[in-house]
Amino acid sequence: MSEPAAAPRAADPPAHNPVVAALLAWVVPGAGHLYLGRRGRALAFCLIVLVSLFTGFALQGNLYRVVAGQPLSFFATLGSMGVGLPYFVARWLLGYQGDIESASYEYGSAFILTAGLMNLLLVLDALDIARGRKS
Amino acid sequence: MRISHFLLMVHYALLVSAFFSLLWKRGRQQRQRLFLKLFLGMVGGGLALAWLMYFFPSGPPTPFP
Repeated sequence: MSEPAAAPRAADPPAHNPVVAALLAWVVPGAGHLYLGRRGRALAFCLIVLVSLFTGFALQGNLYRVVAGQPLSFFATLGSMGVGLPYFVARWLLGYQGDIESASYEYGSAFILTAGLMNLLLVLDALDIARGRKS
Repeated sequence: MRISHFLLMVHYALLVSAFFSLLWKRGRQQRQRLFLKLFLGMVGGGLALAWLMYFFPSGPPTPFP
């Protein structure tokens, strides 16, 4: 008597390291999703975050840094740093500071801060996908 | 370069709506629906708030130093 054919098994999802996914997602916008195999979403997220960031730069917005005596600047800096590598490149390599006298300064600051906060959400999303909590 | 407040608001609303519709929804139709809700909510809400500002007295123009 022949043995019954084994039921086909669904392919196991490839194992992804959540820490690597989160780290990549933070360093380069969209890289975490690329690592997780979500190419389309990675590209879209990367474009959205970078367009928001460069709009902020074009409007001469503030790239926040911690100011002594202003505790809220700490949180704003953390939010801005959320964009990852571009923050440090703009601040340390390019010496970007923004222009407080520019008419669009506040708008630009909002765009830059939003880019950082969106990327922080992408870090959490990549972490959830890598841990299997989200598809 | 002349900067339009309205266009900046639309640009911001576009980016944020696209981001959250991609992040939160999976199906194309669901994404489009959420995108429209967020986009129209932000732009419409901004215009409504701007219109309400007409009821506040603007006062004399600030003199340049």
